[in-house]
Amino acid sequence: MRIWKVEDIKAYIESGILELYVLGDVSPEEKLQVEAMAAKHPAIKAELDEIERSMEAYALENAVEPAEHLRDRILNSLVTNLADDRTFDKAPEERVAKVVTMERPKGGNFYKYAFAACLTLLLVSVAALVSTYNKLQDSNTQIASLRSSNSQFAKVASFTEDTLEVLRGASFKTLTLRGTPKSPQSQLIVAWSPKKKQVWIDMRSMKMAANDQAHQYQLWALVGGKPVSLGVFDKTADSTNMQKMAPTAYADAFAVTLEPRGGSVSPTMDQMMVIGKF
Amino acid sequence: MSKKRKISLSEDELVRALRNREKIAIEALYDMYSSSLYGVISRIITDTATAEDLLQETFLKIWNSFSGYDAGKGRLFTWMVNIARNLAIDKIRSKDFKNQNKNQDLENNVTFIDERKNTVYNPELLGVKELVETLKPEQKAIIELVYFKGYTHVEAADELGVPLGTIKTRLRMAIMLLRRHFN
Repeated sequence: MRIWKVEDIKAYIESGILELYVLGDVSPEEKLQVEAMAAKHPAIKAELDEIERSMEAYALENAVEPAEHLRDRILNSLVTNLADDRTFDKAPEERVAKVVTMERPKGGNFYKYAFAACLTLLLVSVAALVSTYNKLQDSNTQIASLRSSNSQFAKVASFTEDTLEVLRGASFKTLTLRGTPKSPQSQLIVAWSPKKKQVWIDMRSMKMAANDQAHQYQLWALVGGKPVSLGVFDKTADSTNMQKMAPTAYADAFAVTLEPRGGSVSPTMDQMMVIGKF
Repeated sequence: MSKKRKISLSEDELVRALRNREKIAIEALYDMYSSSLYGVISRIITDTATAEDLLQETFLKIWNSFSGYDAGKGRLFTWMVNIARNLAIDKIRSKDFKNQNKNQDLENNVTFIDERKNTVYNPELLGVKELVETLKPEQKAIIELVYFKGYTHVEAADELGVPLGTIKTRLRMAIMLLRRHFN
């Protein structure tokens, strides 16, 4: 450590740095240096104190009394500031704790209000979202049901289109199957297009005894004397449409037998209900 | 107009009250130092409204950053007057202030030159006759510039056209004379 001689300290004092220090006209490094020197050397500290006192006295000589009204204004601004800092009146007498004043963020209230506004907006948005979501769910359900009824309708329409084709198409021939001696009253109209290989039966004009749960009617085409199954059908109270049966391009005659439910491989001849030939 | 009763405390008491953030400290602070600080501020800023605003700003800063004051490093007034001077200098050098005063630039310069002449040639301006007798004009000029006009000693050397060393010496001599005068 450097030992400062009395002459050195005197030179340091006479350099004028202490005056500049008191006037706040030194660099941060010089400031630290002066403070370190003053802490170490009482002579420097005493000199600093002298300079400070004389400058303070000089300022007092040159004092200018501020306007009377300024006192209240400034005291109020400080007291407001104090009230912001502390909300209780009495300060503990010996409060040694160092009070570090935090720089109060400007427009603190603004952020408070902005935050409240954001929160409100968020709640409103969530409510709106929930309600919209519910509506959306309803709409989706409706769309699904509309779509299914629409496709049903399309099916019906295309079916109707097909059945109308039976009437319009020149290729369709209709044949009325007449009752056998076993059921003389029975009757069934068959429409057949060899060209389109389509076979339809008309359920509405059908006159057949209603079948039970264990049995079904089975339509046969006789091709070169051999029976070919064209599928099964039921006679129920509400049988009103035309029904499309299995396709065939060749048929000499059509017949219907009553078979166990699901149909048989070959017709049960004594259960033949109707028959018709071209 | 009768003056209100002014509160006065010793510097130690005041510092302690300020640290404890007691309400009485605010009043005592104002009563004890407002005129000294306003004297410095109003010399740097000639516009009264701006100078008054700056005095308020100074007290607010003193109050809010009081924890930054270290009694071991110097007197309370030295710390406070440097706050006041720095705020005033910042203000006078701010773009805002310059723009505001653009139209009056020429006028201000004339006044400023007049003031300089006064400072140099008219000792009465200091207001303390005894003191003036003790200070040579060039010593008073340097104190005026550095203490009341907010010049750095480098700027003052430039302004007065003398070497830096001379400025330091003059400043020291001037303050020595003040010390003798006040003691």
